[in-house]
Amino acid sequence: MQVTTARLFRITFVNSLAIICVSIFFVQSAYAVPSYSRQTGLPCASCHYAPPELNAFGRKFKLEGYTFSTKPEVSDDKKNHNSALHLLEVFPLSVVFDTSFTSTKAPQPGTQNGNFEFPQAASLFLAGAWAEHVGSFLQVTYDSQDDHFTWDNTDIRYAKTNAKFLDRSLTYGITLNNNPTVEDLWNSTPAWGFPFVSSNVAPGPSAGAIVNGGLAQDVAGIGGYAMWSDHLYIASTIYRSEHIGGSQPNPGTDFGVNIRGLAPYWRLAWQTSSENNNLEIGTYGIHMKSSPGAVSGLENGYTDWAADFQYDRTLPSLKGDVLSFRGTYIRENSSLMASFAQGGAAVVSHHLNTAQANVEYHFGNRVAATAGFFDVTGTADPLLFASAPVSGNANGSPQSNGYLLNLSWWPQQNIDLMFQYTGYMRFNGAATNYDAAGRNANGNNSVYLLARFVF
Amino acid sequence: MKRTFRSLAIILIGGITCPSGFAAQSDSAALFKSTCVMCHGEDGSGNTPSGKALKAKDLRSEKTQKKSDAEIAEVITKGRNKMPAFGQKLKPEQIQQLVAYIRQLPKK
Repeated sequence: MQVTTARLFRITFVNSLAIICVSIFFVQSAYAVPSYSRQTGLPCASCHYAPPELNAFGRKFKLEGYTFSTKPEVSDDKKNHNSALHLLEVFPLSVVFDTSFTSTKAPQPGTQNGNFEFPQAASLFLAGAWAEHVGSFLQVTYDSQDDHFTWDNTDIRYAKTNAKFLDRSLTYGITLNNNPTVEDLWNSTPAWGFPFVSSNVAPGPSAGAIVNGGLAQDVAGIGGYAMWSDHLYIASTIYRSEHIGGSQPNPGTDFGVNIRGLAPYWRLAWQTSSENNNLEIGTYGIHMKSSPGAVSGLENGYTDWAADFQYDRTLPSLKGDVLSFRGTYIRENSSLMASFAQGGAAVVSHHLNTAQANVEYHFGNRVAATAGFFDVTGTADPLLFASAPVSGNANGSPQSNGYLLNLSWWPQQNIDLMFQYTGYMRFNGAATNYDAAGRNANGNNSVYLLARFVF
Repeated sequence: MKRTFRSLAIILIGGITCPSGFAAQSDSAALFKSTCVMCHGEDGSGNTPSGKALKAKDLRSEKTQKKSDAEIAEVITKGRNKMPAFGQKLKPEQIQQLVAYIRQLPKK
């Protein structure tokens, strides 16, 4: 049912400078996974308003460790000194194939505009119940630009269901994952937030908070979570750097982020539901100390505080169409002592504000139309956000804002044909000549067409 | 002597049957928890967020309870509307256990 290819924050360490450059709204891909459908005997629409957006049943399925099944198992009971066995007869494997076309308003210098990717990406998933209380969402993805498979979003969890606390229901568990917020249940947090899939060809803004995809697939974490009384959700995970493709033990070189000690992530959310309404409000965040290009010496410190909400309204008078509102605000405070000392930042103390919101109308489960906006502001720093053609910031300001329009059509529940338009009012600090090479923000406006096949 | 023998017999029979009766109830409760509670809730009402999402029926309702055992067993086995079929996973005797448990829900 779910996951992302948000390889957003693999920062190359260049000339001893650590620069947090993240395409926060872009190069993202979240999935619905058919092996869950095969395991539960339920159509995709039972868990999703539209993939990958989870409804209440989908959230429950994830919360319970992806283990609910109606299909045959190879099983053995626990007796005396012997363990039990609950093994799905069907191996929970799924495939997603994405092919796309991207065109920007202004060509990127020296390149051809109007790009087909066939495929943009192809993913294999091991997604389903592994044992009675253990299940997974595990993804490896082939990226056509890198021309290789690599490890992608992963969430392996143990869940204990139907427990009680203060005479109310309690579900709790443990998660092993590689992306803060990938374990989350709502679509208002970064890993599963809108846009659910986007172009990896069009330029994206250079600044982004670390919790907003900045550590995706570059960390390993273990955490716990609990849902009490179907209302209160609490989760926490501790992360360490885990550089895919990097040598072990980690020498830190070639990587812009090397977590010093542990980076704690936290999540608190409250939800309520009625027959036609589902509301969630919450907060999440992360604290991290990191040494760019090293595992010792001076550190950069980051603390992200975020708030989010999601409201889904089912409209019985319109044949059960669903109207969704989602949003998040992230405040990042950072102290870039290490980068400052290395000449990668002009000042030590920084902040970054990120606001994202969107509204989506689901015409049944066949068509979904979404409009969203995004806005990033923060401390200007001509060294951290340096000037460069297309991707740079001429004035050092991280400010970007714009809008996204998305139309998805599912002729079948496992085939998604999508149109997406991204428009910028401001890009990397300016509306015009933002890169000091004559490129305007709206030159990065893009049309993105995607065909996704999931089986 | 006869009275003593009868008392002993009652204790013995009770001792043998009661635990298995409790065990059966415990088994069916565990089965209900693992297969039905996710949507129908512990009380069978369907008043859970996931139950509302799939419009799960209130198993305590007169409409459900009026159905015959065979009809309820058929719904569990083959599924209906948004409810998935459990016929491939559960054995017939387990389905009968669930039917019996559902019959007890209005009394709980």
